[in-house]
Amino acid sequence: METTGSVGMLLQILIGGIATGSIYAVVGLGFTLLYRAMKMVNFAQGHVFMAGTFLGLIIANRFALPAIPLLLIVMVLAFLIGVVLERIVFRRLYHDHDVFIVGAIGLGIVLMNTVRVFFPEPVPFPKVFGERLVEFGGARFQEAYLWVIGCTVVLVALLHSFFTYTRHGRAMRAVASDAEIAGTVGVNVPRAIAHIFGLTFAVAAGAGVLIGPLYFVSFDMGDMVGLKAFAAAVLGGINSVPGTILGGIAIGLLENLAGTYISSAYKDLVAFVILLAMLVFRPNGLLGTSTPVKV
Amino acid sequence: MRNKLAAIAILSAAVAATSAQAEDIRIGVIAGFSGPGTSYGIGIRQGAEMAVKEINAEGGINGRKLELVVVDDGSNPGQSVTAMQRLINDKVDLIVGGWGSSQVLAAMEPAERAGMPYVVVGASNPRITTEKNKWTFRVLQSDTLQAEEVADIAVHRLGLKRIAVIHDANDYGVSNRESFVARMKKLGVNPVEVQVYQTTDKDFTAQLTRIRASNPDGLAIFGTIPAAPAIMNQAREIGIKAQFLGTTGIANENLITLAPKASEGTIFATMFHEDVDPDARKWSDRYVKEFSGGSQPPRPVLAAWEYRAIKFIVAPCLKKAGTDKDKFRSCLTTWKGRIFGLPDEAYFNKTNHLVQQSVIVQVGGGEFRAYKGDK
Repeated sequence: METTGSVGMLLQILIGGIATGSIYAVVGLGFTLLYRAMKMVNFAQGHVFMAGTFLGLIIANRFALPAIPLLLIVMVLAFLIGVVLERIVFRRLYHDHDVFIVGAIGLGIVLMNTVRVFFPEPVPFPKVFGERLVEFGGARFQEAYLWVIGCTVVLVALLHSFFTYTRHGRAMRAVASDAEIAGTVGVNVPRAIAHIFGLTFAVAAGAGVLIGPLYFVSFDMGDMVGLKAFAAAVLGGINSVPGTILGGIAIGLLENLAGTYISSAYKDLVAFVILLAMLVFRPNGLLGTSTPVKV
Repeated sequence: MRNKLAAIAILSAAVAATSAQAEDIRIGVIAGFSGPGTSYGIGIRQGAEMAVKEINAEGGINGRKLELVVVDDGSNPGQSVTAMQRLINDKVDLIVGGWGSSQVLAAMEPAERAGMPYVVVGASNPRITTEKNKWTFRVLQSDTLQAEEVADIAVHRLGLKRIAVIHDANDYGVSNRESFVARMKKLGVNPVEVQVYQTTDKDFTAQLTRIRASNPDGLAIFGTIPAAPAIMNQAREIGIKAQFLGTTGIANENLITLAPKASEGTIFATMFHEDVDPDARKWSDRYVKEFSGGSQPPRPVLAAWEYRAIKFIVAPCLKKAGTDKDKFRSCLTTWKGRIFGLPDEAYFNKTNHLVQQSVIVQVGGGEFRAYKGDK
């Protein structure tokens, strides 16, 4: 066995932490996008992530697709499912935040139990990102870790350019800052909201495909990831896209570091202690801005 | 008037017929059909279904059919109390099942209070069968013996010197770690690293990186599916080449599905192996045939004890003592008999624990093989 010093150990922890953190960040983006547009929190986000993994699994088992087309197909399908669900269910729930939250929790339960009927046990995901091992500086990890990190960067860049440079993206931002005024200047508000909803589904499902090959997939895998992604969004600022990315990666890194150097028994605690501390001391998050109550 | 009388006569005859046709004997089955224990729960359910089907096909017990009442405890100790309470309220005659030491330790409390005979088939923590349990019986080997046996093999037969341990933080993982480490120390070997994880963890980079730094030649994994195969996969990925060891927690065919390459060579103590005797092989073939092709593959290791407990221990006692709980319990305490897969006659000791030897297997060529002792 190669000798691995404390530098190799630290590197291993950092890369693992950034990879899992990227997943929290991408899933957390779903919370952020919807919150910015609607001031609503979709607590089914983690289960959409899980359903996306299984969608990817079913497709990958049937057709031997390379990673990128698989990711794109899953994301497009998830987008469409999101738009349809918004139209037939969630649009009716916007009038009341409490009702919306209960509806979202309901969606999560439905998704989880539907998948459970077909996959009651954890199953392995095909290694769509290859099985090569990358080694440097005493750290060894699957190539898939790099895919996760790389895809997160690309995804965030794409989202950013979409919201900044395209007409449709700007229309969504207009709806997010003030739906009423956006409507009066000609933006199709219901459509923009439906598309934002679809987008939150697409990013969650994409994250699901990214993480699939790293671990086994099971119908209850979305619980913890959803909660940690929510903690990531709150840490960074739930109305800030860069904040959520930062929050996700910070939580991924911190829980891995705490797991190694303090005690692995308290690994999961990190995200929730951060969540509580942020809610008490800095509810707008690191990069978030407070939204003044409109009168 | 005559018509009325005739009607009454027919009615009373009908009533007499139903009461003569005795009620079903209801057997509760409790296990995890969701959560991390799912793949074990499925095996337990299949074993119960098979045993009950066979007994009913032969006419039941003293003319009474067996009926299963299956409840899910979500592989969660809190829920297992609720599940047990449901079975007690439902007035089942006895319970055969239970998977996971933490779940069983929690669920046996209400069973003891209600005086409900509870035959445990899937939990190995020594604290389940002490002097205090009156109604809880266990047919499975306890952690202490298994972990000690595996420690002996690691040190004596494999000659491992640098052994690391990673274990679940639950009652199963902790008691295995305690027995294993204590035995190793007696043999003059100190573990080079001990790490802990939570049952639902998916990423073990943090623990395994520490373990890798200790440069082990053996790694004992005291956990269950899906964590244990994930640990094996991730350990091999980051370059740990140590020999994997374990106990009944990983005695589940799903281990090989989830860690096809990484689990190869793993040595562990299990509760059943089909090659121990010809009858075990015959049963296993029959079982695999019956449950193949469904959405869940057959798992002989898990089904074996549930099947054997119902067929060889519970059924004879029901036949002899009936469903009166006190009589049934005392029948169990004096039960003695041969069961396929066990070398000697088995019986319950004074703590209601079935005395038996454990079976050591090694993963090889995608299956569990009886361990012969060569490296």
